[in-house]
Amino acid sequence: MREILSGALLVIGTTFMFLAAVGLVRQPDIYLRMSATSKATSLGVGSVLLAAAIYFGDFAITARAMAAIVFIMICTPVAAHMIGRAAYFTGTPLWEGTLIDELRGQYDPRTHELESVSFPELDTHLPDIEMRKFTLPVGSDLEGLTLAEIDLRRKYDITLLAIRRGAEVISNPGGDIAILAGDELVIMGHPERLSGVRARIRRIRKAAVPANPDG
Amino acid sequence: MTLQSLALFVALPILVLAVLLAVVRLVRGPSVPDRVVALDLIATLVMGIMAIYAIATDAAVLLDLVVVLALVSFMGTVAFARYVERGA
Repeated sequence: MREILSGALLVIGTTFMFLAAVGLVRQPDIYLRMSATSKATSLGVGSVLLAAAIYFGDFAITARAMAAIVFIMICTPVAAHMIGRAAYFTGTPLWEGTLIDELRGQYDPRTHELESVSFPELDTHLPDIEMRKFTLPVGSDLEGLTLAEIDLRRKYDITLLAIRRGAEVISNPGGDIAILAGDELVIMGHPERLSGVRARIRRIRKAAVPANPDG
Repeated sequence: MTLQSLALFVALPILVLAVLLAVVRLVRGPSVPDRVVALDLIATLVMGIMAIYAIATDAAVLLDLVVVLALVSFMGTVAFARYVERGA
């Protein structure tokens, strides 16, 4: 009985692991390849280890096999996510048949931070324009200045659409409005201009907190 | 067919074939992340091979190596991912 169960698990596990390798070779882009390998191998190795645990039928060996299975079940998705993230940031192309890329334009390409408002239709109507939301950090040297003083439109060639301050939303803000730390600025413009203005908004006064070296 | 001959003559050759397929992707790439995924898969396949070999030869001690290899391969993959993301 134990042999039959163990043999069945062995066959299942081996099949899945082989299919993972086939998927790795045959899928058209890295994201689909990872989808094949990470899922199929965790099931495959899990089954094979379970087969070994049942075959030996010893408590210490079963405990070790279970530890390995739990570890694989936790770590495979983490590792797959990290590779996928790295691949996406370094511009690994998606398969040309991909229909939806929901992350497109959502990440800042330089800092790899997720900081954008999603406007799916904007892309179709205005292909080179993006809309982003930036939060003014505490200690920013722009804190307390009015929009006329900062003059984002002329200096950075972007448009400030609205400011969200707590529950309040200031739409189409005038030049006399001063921005405060914690304000969320919704800005529209060319992606490169947005990167520039983002760096400006992130800049902290020298006397205040030292800038984050990773930022 | 005994379980041991199933492990030795059916499961092991299939997994070796799977490793060869993964090596095809490792060589062809084309991107670095593709190769990292291929290496990760090879490590996982070797874990499966060790578990099967443990059954085939009645050497339960090989299962300890599976745990070690799982740890090392996870660390390696995470390190590669960080390197790819930061170093590019």
